Amino acid sequence: MWSVVKSVLAAFFGVQKDAQRREDFEEGHPVAFIAVGILMGLVFVAVVAFIAVSAAR
Amino acid sequence: MAPKLPLHHPVEQSSTASAGGQAAHSAPPRGLMRWLLTTNHKEIGSLYLIFSLTMFFIGGVFALVVRAELFQPGLQLVEPEFFNQMTTMHGLIMVFGAIMPSFVGLANWMIPLQIGAPDMALPRLNNFSFWLLPVAFTLLLSTLLMPGGGPNFGWTFYAPLSTTYAPPSTTFFILSLHIAGISSILGAINIIATVLNLRAPGMRMMDMPLFCWTWLITAFLLIAVMPVLAGAVTMMLMDINFGTSFFNAAGGGDPVLFQHLFWFFGHPEVYIMILPAFGIVSAIIPTFSRKRLFGYASMVYATGAIAILSFMVWAHHMFTVGLPLTAELFFMYTTMLIAVPTGVKVFNWVATMFRGSISFEPPMLFALAFVVQFTIGGFSGLMLAISPADFQYHDTYFVVAHFHYVLVPGALFAILAAAYYWLPKWTGHYPNLKLAQWHFWLSVIGVNLTFFPMHFSGLAGMPRRIPDYALQFADFNLASSLGAFLFGASQLLFVWLIIKCVRGGEKAPAKAWEGAEDLEWSVPSPAPLHTFEHPPTFRHDEK
Amino acid sequence: MRTFIVWTAGCLVVPLMTTLAMANGWNMPVGVTDVSREVHSLHMTIFWICVVIGVIVFGAMFYSLFRFRHSKGAKAAHFHEHPLVEVIWTAIPLLILIGMAVPATATLKKMYDPSDADLDVMITGQQWRWHYEYLGEDVAFTSNLGTPRETIRGKGERGEHYLLEVDEPLVLPVDRKVRFLMTSDDVIHSWWVPDLAVKQDTIPGFVNENWVRINEPGVYRGQCAELCGINHGFMPIVLQALEEEEFDAWLAERKEAAAQEASGVDREWSLDELMARGEQSYNAVCASCHQPDGSGNPPAFPALAGNQALMEERERHIETVVNGVSGAAMPAFRNTLSPVEVAAVITYERNAWGNETGDVVQPSEIAERLEE
Repeated sequence: MWSVVKSVLAAFFGVQKDAQRREDFEEGHPVAFIAVGILMGLVFVAVVAFIAVSAAR
Repeated sequence: MAPKLPLHHPVEQSSTASAGGQAAHSAPPRGLMRWLLTTNHKEIGSLYLIFSLTMFFIGGVFALVVRAELFQPGLQLVEPEFFNQMTTMHGLIMVFGAIMPSFVGLANWMIPLQIGAPDMALPRLNNFSFWLLPVAFTLLLSTLLMPGGGPNFGWTFYAPLSTTYAPPSTTFFILSLHIAGISSILGAINIIATVLNLRAPGMRMMDMPLFCWTWLITAFLLIAVMPVLAGAVTMMLMDINFGTSFFNAAGGGDPVLFQHLFWFFGHPEVYIMILPAFGIVSAIIPTFSRKRLFGYASMVYATGAIAILSFMVWAHHMFTVGLPLTAELFFMYTTMLIAVPTGVKVFNWVATMFRGSISFEPPMLFALAFVVQFTIGGFSGLMLAISPADFQYHDTYFVVAHFHYVLVPGALFAILAAAYYWLPKWTGHYPNLKLAQWHFWLSVIGVNLTFFPMHFSGLAGMPRRIPDYALQFADFNLASSLGAFLFGASQLLFVWLIIKCVRGGEKAPAKAWEGAEDLEWSVPSPAPLHTFEHPPTFRHDEK
Repeated sequence: MRTFIVWTAGCLVVPLMTTLAMANGWNMPVGVTDVSREVHSLHMTIFWICVVIGVIVFGAMFYSLFRFRHSKGAKAAHFHEHPLVEVIWTAIPLLILIGMAVPATATLKKMYDPSDADLDVMITGQQWRWHYEYLGEDVAFTSNLGTPRETIRGKGERGEHYLLEVDEPLVLPVDRKVRFLMTSDDVIHSWWVPDLAVKQDTIPGFVNENWVRINEPGVYRGQCAELCGINHGFMPIVLQALEEEEFDAWLAERKEAAAQEASGVDREWSLDELMARGEQSYNAVCASCHQPDGSGNPPAFPALAGNQALMEERERHIETVVNGVSGAAMPAFRNTLSPVEVAAVITYERNAWGNETGDVVQPSEIAERLEE
């Protein structure tokens, strides 16, 4: 699970090692990546929104 | 991009395939019916490309009407009413009629060839989605002849100017957008189905050329946002014809709601018009640097990141409508973040060239111009993201300069690069080198002469979409108009060059460019009507 | 090598020339408020950040283009990824952006604080003019394009302020916090004066807020920034900033004039008086759509000259001008014109250009209607 989160984080940042990427594609389950990706997308929006709200104060 | 195509087998393989193809099919209908009924991805691709080229010239003439009126202060050639119709039609035609269909045309031609598929997944749908376009744009252009004139409210058609205050022809404009939208959605479905299902055995997603990747992501964007546009224009239709008040404040409606809907469509739309261009440039730069694309995986991730972020930034087009402070900050932050994945792409292209073995054929020239000038457009985009400064930039020529840098020397140059890159594959002949170089240099000079001064006129205070201007803007506008006519005229060279290239020229081998490595270069030039009827086996060159 | 030097020089010359050009007034004005100064400095900061990044990126690119030419026998290397470098060049822009977001946020918060204003001005956008109302002072007027139509069409000299001149400018005091309340009567407009760094959309059904505190007296010019129809290019803004005492004197004078105008409602007006007054108001307010000769611009803007329905239906004519036509382009003038002006315009329209009905509409009649 942690490795999925790590890979999704790497995807968000946009940098990933070729070897790690290959491992993800061969061993990981796409559904896991998509689910974690959507979840972390929401977390991302929440974080930016939180920063915006606190900066506006 | 780990794997490369097998260089040994497919040439003979696909020539037998094409022979088999002729035996398997009855003779195709000839003349007009052949084009009307064709389900062949190459023919439909050509139709798309010819259509978009036609629209490019029509939209270009409209732009030249605008530039001619703005040549000097005062009203000389056209009335403000017609001027507004020209700016509106120029935008609509270029966005929906020129840039988008040309990318679909390139996808039609190249995606099956790049993934080793015999055709698009849904050939009849493909035919339908193309033939919707001439209908949509004939309808759109015909509004210019209707009483009250055509759309005159800008390509962003903000309500209530486009509803309560619109000319009667607006209903036809809405219908034509609906038809064009259906065409886009069907095209997108087809591309997704093709990329996901028809890859050659052994080709994984991460083995695909980047053009397929960027188009796959673009297609998802299209499916996500086109219905939003359809919804917004349907609400307009109801407001205009059936007495509803979605956007009419007097009836309790909300004009700002329209802008939210429009830009929720419109911002992803902006990326729809640039992501395939990233794919094209990511194919051309490695070819002429004779070196693999740097950071293939990062490129895919960056494309995905841009696509996801594109849904979270729409209100940066609306910084002046009076959003709450929190919303203003949220959209400023997300917009600034988009610069990161976009920057990654530019860095990767430069790193691809670094320590390569670079030559300067016409496709490479256009791709290089793309990198530099798209980046300039990116810089002004970054400036526009700073919300307090955007209050000064918004709705001025600075914005006009920004999005034209992204769309003309950006998207359009990528399309021209693609045309030069793949013309040998399409026609079997190399384009005329001298003519192509003339076309390139005249285009670069024309484009920059047109759009660079617009940065200054915008900063100096010139609003966009005005038919006449104060005297201090005269010099900038003179330069822009001269540049626009130079740029427009030099595109005629391109047409001449294509005609010459179709008719003859230096013969191109299957692998037309020394450094080209993708699957399309394994079929003969010109590509026979049917290719890959037996899928090639894709070889991974794992290290 | 020589070509390389030429290109590098080119890379440096372009930003230098741009800077020079921008120093020569081809740039965003610094403006005359504290906020506009901050905005200008944000603009210059982000501009220089872009220049520096541009020089580095394009420098690296052109270096590669010249150093690794196929024609000079360059052999391609084989690397195609380098996670560390990629992390660095992703992280650096991220840090720069965070550094940029902090001052931008601070400036934005200042711009969003219209509290404790000394004066409230309501700005209403109308096709194609601005209406200003000094709230609580009983002073209101419309500001129209001052450049004559013939000049736009090429007759006569174009003055220094061609298209940026109005018949009556907005007058504001320096050193006082002025709050703007902004709305529109018809379509969306956008009130923009570059020297104030204020650009705010005026939207029907919404009231937006903004504010300024001007530091220097002077005349500042701007334009409508949101496409609002045919005459979008012809609705300028002129703002005159006066010293505080001068402003107070001006406001007192305007108040008195307004009171006099209001008293005009009670007396009987002659046809000639109303015609003269009506022509003036018609040309300022109505002529942009219905044309100075009443020929209109059908189908959106019907002709008034020779309009049978108009001549026959006096009651409906008054109703149309006072309350507008819902769902069409005709706005209500009950709040933007005084009863005297409404009466004068209607009388003028019923008697000008051969519409010789002989009807007189008295200001008192309009005032009664407005009280209903």
